[in-house]
Amino acid sequence: MIYQTEGQLKKKRRFRTLVLLLFVGIIITFLFSLNVGYIRMHPREILLTLWGQGTYEQSLTLFQFRLPRMVIALLVGAGLSVSGTVLQGIVRNPLADPGIIGINSGAGLAVMLFLSFYAGTSNVPVLVLPFLAFIGAGGTAVLIYALSYKRHEGVHPIRIVLTGVAVAAGISSLMIVLTLRLDPDKYQFLATWLAGSIWGSNWKFVHALWPWLVLLTPYVYWKSSVLNVMNLGDETAIGLGTDLEKERRMLLAAATALAAASVSVSGGIGFIGLIAPHMTRRLIGDRHEYVIPIAALVGAILLLLADTIGRWIMQPSSIPAGIVVAVIGAPYFLYLLARIKD
Amino acid sequence: MGALEAKKIHVGYSQHLIIEDLSITIPAQKITTIIGPNGCGKSTLIKTLARILKTKAGTVYLDGKEIHNLDTREVARKMAVLPQTAQAPGGLTVFELVSYGRFPHRSSMGMLKAEDYDYIHWAIEVTGLGDLKDRSISALSGGQRQRVWIAVALAQGTDILVLDEPTTYLDLAHQLEILLLLERLNKAENRTIVMVLHDLNHASRFSDYLIAMKDGKVIKEGTPSDVMTCEVLREVFNIDAQLAPCPFSAHPICFSYQLCKDVEYVYR
Repeated sequence: MIYQTEGQLKKKRRFRTLVLLLFVGIIITFLFSLNVGYIRMHPREILLTLWGQGTYEQSLTLFQFRLPRMVIALLVGAGLSVSGTVLQGIVRNPLADPGIIGINSGAGLAVMLFLSFYAGTSNVPVLVLPFLAFIGAGGTAVLIYALSYKRHEGVHPIRIVLTGVAVAAGISSLMIVLTLRLDPDKYQFLATWLAGSIWGSNWKFVHALWPWLVLLTPYVYWKSSVLNVMNLGDETAIGLGTDLEKERRMLLAAATALAAASVSVSGGIGFIGLIAPHMTRRLIGDRHEYVIPIAALVGAILLLLADTIGRWIMQPSSIPAGIVVAVIGAPYFLYLLARIKD
Repeated sequence: MGALEAKKIHVGYSQHLIIEDLSITIPAQKITTIIGPNGCGKSTLIKTLARILKTKAGTVYLDGKEIHNLDTREVARKMAVLPQTAQAPGGLTVFELVSYGRFPHRSSMGMLKAEDYDYIHWAIEVTGLGDLKDRSISALSGGQRQRVWIAVALAQGTDILVLDEPTTYLDLAHQLEILLLLERLNKAENRTIVMVLHDLNHASRFSDYLIAMKDGKVIKEGTPSDVMTCEVLREVFNIDAQLAPCPFSAHPICFSYQLCKDVEYVYR
């Protein structure tokens, strides 16, 4: 007997094709991105350098500046996208993204406080800033969770959203006050950070980031069926035997850690976590077994593409990837809205 | 012993208690229907029995064990729940949604096993959705969607089914189809069914046991002939009902009714 329906098989084939296409897309973008930057390199030179035959300057550019930055873009894109997917599932709102649990504002505030009370941005151990940003992001998420927690009732998604908006508003007003104290150099650094420039082209940042992804993405994927059931509403989820309160807490923690780790090395990139899961759901539907892997790949390719465009379009200076994402993302969103109307 | 028992339960939202000191036994392997006017607490009662709402005091027992001490997944293998508020994301197909009914039987990442497929296909067939398997939920009519939700509950393969207004959104014929299906599941497979219905005649015709509620209290419980009486209906719904035996089940049904005099006066 054939158990799988025609539609199931079709979807499975579609999933495989998409994974393949996205991998190919990532490789092409990656090769193109290697070629983009202040120092021009011929594709042949790049190949030679990758092979270990390049000049000192070439291998320095490639191995110490471009490659780590590109790897960070891929990882951050995947991390934010998976985090957004999980959050949208938890709060059952397609407009949720890591911003609603205070990731960006929290990380931004931490960076800002550091800049306000510390002499400068040079001479600081490289991992101090990401560490502080991570603490700021995680701390804000915990605060929002605690504020929206009610005894006996636990945490309602809608309260998370509302508390998140309130806390983010509070933090941004605090940041405006603090901005007044900053000198122009620090201000510029902060502004670029907030706009989501992938500022840390350093392998140390890559190493600070990948363990989170390697640990948490499989965990979240393993929880696919729980996310699926959560999507049906609280009552149905409980009826199907989900320990809703516990699962929600664990998944929220995983989403927070993924987004906080990502933002801590990339700066305030927000839109990816909203738009990549959205695009993914349009491509493959709502089953999280399919959505999570595809969303990770879509997020990765989007951010790498955005960063590449940002470095390429106004050479020799660059536009923060977060801004490029927003410039591409906003019209896409308007297009979605226009389609929903009819 | 009943399949489900509530002993002295108090249920409510924050300060406001909807049900106070209510005790009830749902007989095993029977069809039980809760009836009552809007806002009488019947949905609250059924949600409490289904452990969706927690009690402020008192306990619900499933097969004699305290339901809140049982592993929730284990409960889901014994009792399926169809809430009134079920919503599905539009990007799912009928098959996918029905397959979620197997959630309590699967290991976290486990693929669907042959047994799971059997249950899913059976649930899809008996709810008459065979041709719509691969249709996306967003492309279904309200009635079809309701049948999909019933299929989800059936796919769970439980001895007890708890359904909150399973016939809403359905036209006359489809309402009857669902009720006949539930009757068949009860008669042929001895499944215990507890539900809330708005249609008194359906409630009477298909139930072995009726529970009439008003203002959070049970006014009368018993067989349809015990509960479907002029006195009970007057007390519970404020109606003067004309009753006669149903030609199909011999249970009393109401063929017409008027508002009670005192109520009518208010509207004049």
